[in-house]
Formats: sequence, structure tokens, C-alpha cells
Amino acid sequence: MSKKESESNHNIEKGFLYGLSQSLTIAIGYAPVAITFGILATQFGLTFWEAGLMSFFVYAGASQFIAIEMIHQGATPLMIGVTTLIVNIRHFLMSLSVVPFFPERTLLWSLGLAQGLTDESFVLNTKVLKDVEGEENRRRVMLGINSGAFVTWVSLTILGGLIGKWLPVQFSGFQFALLALFIILTTMSLSRKNYVTYLIAAVLAVVLKLLIPGKIYLIISVILAAGIGAWWRGRKGSHRVGLNSQKSS
Amino acid sequence: MSFQLLGTILLMTIVTYGSRVLPFLLFKGENVKGFARDFIELVPIALLAALVVPELVTPSGTIVIMKNPFLWAGILTFLFSRFVPNLFLGILFGMTVFWGLDKLLL
Repeated sequence: MSKKESESNHNIEKGFLYGLSQSLTIAIGYAPVAITFGILATQFGLTFWEAGLMSFFVYAGASQFIAIEMIHQGATPLMIGVTTLIVNIRHFLMSLSVVPFFPERTLLWSLGLAQGLTDESFVLNTKVLKDVEGEENRRRVMLGINSGAFVTWVSLTILGGLIGKWLPVQFSGFQFALLALFIILTTMSLSRKNYVTYLIAAVLAVVLKLLIPGKIYLIISVILAAGIGAWWRGRKGSHRVGLNSQKSS
Repeated sequence: MSFQLLGTILLMTIVTYGSRVLPFLLFKGENVKGFARDFIELVPIALLAALVVPELVTPSGTIVIMKNPFLWAGILTFLFSRFVPNLFLGILFGMTVFWGLDKLLL
């Protein structure tokens, strides 16, 4: 009994500040990435406040790195927009699985809580919100988590931009910085479940880049490769009925 | 700020925030399954391939193997980050190796 009482007391205290304190783990993870983004954005020709503006409005790490690489390569805004869509459509899945925590949400809460949904905040929110009683409290906790992560991302982007502004521009290594970043992300996310898609996309992209002028090869090869990969998974899945769909990234 | 960049940020914001907010506005909470889910999950890795590999293999429009600092720096960065899975160190390594190879191969 007493354990249950203390638990419910504890739950009452969980609000915005509790969420904010939980967001510290995300802030630590974001710090080096946000600073790196700021530095690279300024090295690739953006000003520090343009970088900050992108972090403020877009607030999606991977697609921001991709965008400055594509801007550098001379892609049009429309191309970058479409690429961002196919990269960030995964937020739709995360959003879908967070929504059941808030059955009584108002429009304002919907608009606000959706803003802060990222890969990292999604994982933390899913973990934390399970143990928070009451929808009102859950909203405040998620708002706290999202706010801490968001403020960190934007402010450290600007800091990185200011650092990048004062760095020597002559170092040719910066040409390779974004490619290095993407290669490291590749080694982190490549697995037995997705390497075939990777190889298909790589071959298609090289061939199509040589055949078609412009950057359109990016989108065509990604859609074809992910389509073939998903179709292949579906075929395999239908042979092994009973296996639950597994999460991979 | 150029009109191009403003348009880019605007479009990126619309599609990203759209992906985040639509389920909040439309659903009580269902799950996407099957082909659509697999497709969405495979997009990031396919995009990494499409972004990186052509830049490494055809930096100037044709396939170059030997005198190509991008390709070799890429392979070395890949191997490095398999053993040292750290974003910062990996980028530093990649930039340094590229800079060195760029000087050597020219």
C-alpha cells in the first residue's frame, strides 16, 4: 500500500520541469552534432544565423546535413524539399505511435507536441511517458523533454556557426567532412537486414548520375532501391508467417 | 539571405512538420504496416548510399579509381568508423586523410 501511495505521489510531481530534466540526456547527444552542423553550414557558405534559422524551423538533423550538401552541389529548393520529404516521412511513423498517449489533446497541444518530435525525443518520450499518469501530466512532460532538446539544438547550431566563421577556410579537408559524416552514419546503420538495399541504391545512383544530368538521380535511386528492398522483405515475410515485423533503422 | 535558401528552408519545414503533425491531427493511433513501413524504414540507408557512393566514385563526372582522394578517403573512413564508432573522431579522421591524400595524389 505505502509503495503504491508513494508512487502516485511521485507521479503527481511529474510535469514540465521533470521533462526538462529528462531532456538532458538528449542535450548531451545533440551537442556535438549541433556544433558540427553549425561549423559545416558556415564552411559550406551559410551564415551562422541562416544555419540557426534552419535548425529552428526544420529541426531534423540528418536532413539538415543533407540539405547543406545538396545546396553545395547546386540542387534546386524543390529537389531538396522532395529529398527532405522522403528522409523525414519516418516522423509520420513515430508521431503515429506517440498519439495514443494523448486521446483528449486539443488542437494547440497537437500543434505544439508535434513540433518537437525527433528520433531522439521520440525514443525518450516513449520510454518516459509510459510511467506518467494522467494525460495532462504526460503533455507537460513531453513538452519539457521537447523544449530542452529543441533549445539545445538551435542554440548550439548558432554556437557552431560562430566557431565555423572564425576557422581558417583554407583547409581542404572540409570538402570531405559531410561525406565522412554520412559514411560514419552508414557504418552505424548498415545491417544484414538493409545492406542489399544499400548496394542496389549505390549501383543505381552511380549509373543514373552518369546518365541523367542534374541531381534527380538521388530521388530516383532512393525510391527504386527502397521499393525493391521493401518488396523483397514482403516476399520473404510471406514465406515466414508468424515473425513479427522487426524494428530496424 | 537568398531567395533560394529561404525557399529551401520553407519547403523543408513544410514537409518535416507535416510528417510530424498529420498523425496528431488525423489519427487516434494506428500503425502503418507491410510494404509502406518497410519502404519508410529503408529510405535512410538507401539515401546514404545515393548521397555518398556517386560522390566517391565519380567526383568529377567520370569514374576514377586510382587518382581519387574521395574514394580512398571514403574507404579508410568507413574502416576507421567500424572500429571507432564516434562521430567526431570519424569526421576528424576523414577530413585529415582526405587532406593528406589530396596533396599526395595531385
